[in-house]
Amino acid sequence: MLNTDPVLALLSRALDAAALRQSVHATNVANVDTDGYRRLEVIYSAEQQRLSAGAPAMDANEALAWAQAEPEVVESADTRVKLDQEMAQMAENAVRYQALLGAIERTLGLLRTAARDGRE
Amino acid sequence: MGMFGVLDISAAGMDVQQARLEVAASNIANARTTGKDGATYKPLAVVVRSAIAEAQGPAGTATTVANLPVPVVTQVVQQDVAPKLVYDPGHPDADARGMVALPGVDPVSSMLDLISISRGYEANLRAFDVTRSLLQRTLDLGRNR
Repeated sequence: MLNTDPVLALLSRALDAAALRQSVHATNVANVDTDGYRRLEVIYSAEQQRLSAGAPAMDANEALAWAQAEPEVVESADTRVKLDQEMAQMAENAVRYQALLGAIERTLGLLRTAARDGRE
Repeated sequence: MGMFGVLDISAAGMDVQQARLEVAASNIANARTTGKDGATYKPLAVVVRSAIAEAQGPAGTATTVANLPVPVVTQVVQQDVAPKLVYDPGHPDADARGMVALPGVDPVSSMLDLISISRGYEANLRAFDVTRSLLQRTLDLGRNR
């Protein structure tokens, strides 16, 4: 089901990415006092960056193909963990995650309405 | 592992802060602990390493959500800090010159440690809470019909 509807598939990919970001932020916070720890961050591959720069308008299927590449966890350029920045980014990502959940909820609602022939 | 495993990482982070708190409390409590022949209490410090780095070495494989580094307290070490000599001839542990060796615990840096421990613990607790609430909301997906 989630794989047949391109919008739902796209939303669930985005949700996965937001979940990965939350994981990485929580790991950075947990390792704030670890000796020799280098801050981690989530990046998208060069292929994705090229596609997003070159294609101003995408339909859902194009976007889905774009979203197939796995985001990578790499060591950040600024290696020290700053607690305040980490918490701010975590809060921002949590809001995005909940927005995605809301979008999935509404998409499921549309499908539910369609399945009931428009009756509530 | 997904996001459920991240709760364990935040818990490990809280464990680390707890260990730091115990060590800081021990240092402050023993600030006036003396011993015979200048053998005073030595200030303690924790060594925190990431469990993944220990297992795989510095040139490990690519980091994924399955092998995010978990912090662990690998050892508690005695700091090599010179004792503070205080003139107190009546003290049972005083040497021939009447000097008593007190542990080299720096009260200011100990208090600063307490603040940083408190902030670190709060941040981990908050991260745990955010992860938990996101998971909860995900589980509630499609619940209201």
